[in-house]
Amino acid sequence: MQAGLSTKNAPSPSVVLPHYAYGAVAFITAAIMMFFAAEDISTTYMTPKVLSVAHVLILGWVTMIIFGALYQLIPVVMEVKLYSEKLAMASFITLGLGVPFIAYSFWVDFIGASHAMITGGSLVILSVLMFVVNTLGSAMKTENKTIENRFIVASVFWLLLTVVLGLSIVLFPQILAYGSFQIHIHIGIIGWFMMLIVGVASTLMPMFFIAHQLNKKLLEMAFWLLNGGLLVLLSTMFFDLGNYAKMGAGTLVLIGFIMFFSYNLGAYKKRLRRNLDIGMKLSVLAFILFALTLVAGVLSSFGSLIDGDFLTRINLIYGISLIYGFITALILGQMYKTLPFIVWLKLYQDKVGKFKTPLPADMHSEEAAQGHYFFFIGGFMLLVIGVWLKESMLIKASAGFMLLTAILYAYNTFKILMHKQQLKPLVMPKIRKRPVPVVKKDK
Amino acid sequence: MAKIDQLNETEQDILEIIKTVPDPEVSVNIVDLGLIYEVAHNEEDKQINVIMTLSARGCPVGDTILQHVQTVVSNMYPGYYVDVDLVWEPQWTPALITDDGRAQLDGGF
Repeated sequence: MQAGLSTKNAPSPSVVLPHYAYGAVAFITAAIMMFFAAEDISTTYMTPKVLSVAHVLILGWVTMIIFGALYQLIPVVMEVKLYSEKLAMASFITLGLGVPFIAYSFWVDFIGASHAMITGGSLVILSVLMFVVNTLGSAMKTENKTIENRFIVASVFWLLLTVVLGLSIVLFPQILAYGSFQIHIHIGIIGWFMMLIVGVASTLMPMFFIAHQLNKKLLEMAFWLLNGGLLVLLSTMFFDLGNYAKMGAGTLVLIGFIMFFSYNLGAYKKRLRRNLDIGMKLSVLAFILFALTLVAGVLSSFGSLIDGDFLTRINLIYGISLIYGFITALILGQMYKTLPFIVWLKLYQDKVGKFKTPLPADMHSEEAAQGHYFFFIGGFMLLVIGVWLKESMLIKASAGFMLLTAILYAYNTFKILMHKQQLKPLVMPKIRKRPVPVVKKDK
Repeated sequence: MAKIDQLNETEQDILEIIKTVPDPEVSVNIVDLGLIYEVAHNEEDKQINVIMTLSARGCPVGDTILQHVQTVVSNMYPGYYVDVDLVWEPQWTPALITDDGRAQLDGGF
């Protein structure tokens, strides 16, 4: 067997799998919290409970799963072993401990340097630092300098900046006057999540669609536009550049996202797999929701020109469509494209060819998956309408749908995680019997 | 080494055996996906060589597929040395998928 194959580089499943379990529980928790925060969500995003739900979603659900998935995907994208599995495990533990502290502190104490916030924030920063070292350590070993790799490396720099700025806001609230909160949100969302998602999705989506000969120049341009836009945005905090600079940054980022969107649309159109499985259906849904994010983002960047109440609702829909829409749908879908393979490889890697084994796609309940696909769409639509109409009952109904989504998703996650080996006798085709060739003896 | 459209009877049998190996991601066998480039059976040296590729360099189940090919062929031809080689040239393209493979991809799941 040859070098360069990612199975040999794959980390131990015990490093990756706990991230998926924690993420599934955090997703359920966030849905329950959203129910009790419905009144707050219908008003604005700068309230204790909204910030608490946001951080459970962003750190406990999205970041946790991204960390875990990335430990599995680094060998795929970079074609190297993960730099350190111990560091990955330590990062999981510190992030897992830090999230409840932060969530609790926001829920009861809002912004302030409480003991819980300092403890939670420090744990999260520690976790992120270890993750950054692990990713950069792996990136330095790779000879595979693709554009997808560059997105991943850039994303971890922005992540580091995001958490440092986040904790700075908590410790030194006076910097809020310089727009640090909006910048914290944007470099977190665009620099960390989106940069990473662009890098990973641009590798995985064509692979799963079986689409070849795509226009990589689009990704190259997206890379410079997104990073350029973020740098301009960041500089507005230090130099009073005004709203036009922010609009300029927004425009650069928007064009960058359109490039990324076009690249994946190209993969979708050229796909050989016409019928999509549940993982890819959810991923395609994610991109549809992303279109809503882009529209809300454009409107939000013209914030100074529009009415304050309208802007608040647009900002909420922008954040919701990105975190609870695009990124959540993508994670829901990509779970089915990653987790079953990790468990399948662990259980069946040395059994293939000796026994008939199930396929990774056989390890989840299709009914539960289809169920949470529709509950998710219903929950998302109710949430957007509820926020737009400022109707807390609709938001509570949405929380109910999201809870059902989270429960069915968690059911499938744990069904896959606890899958027991199923081996059946192998049935092979019969080989034709042929006469044994007569060997002529030399005289 | 014989290209898969120039196989003798034994090599065709070997190809039939390899057809039991699915790509776990798409549930289509790797012969119909066009991943097998060459098969060679050498009676005298008791050796079977398979040259194959993968549809994507980063394929997470790549070496399990190679392992699968080696195991099934070895099981059917005990006493033979079975060598499965992975190559990236010529690069796999969707044009290599057979009509059967396309039909399975269109409606298989």
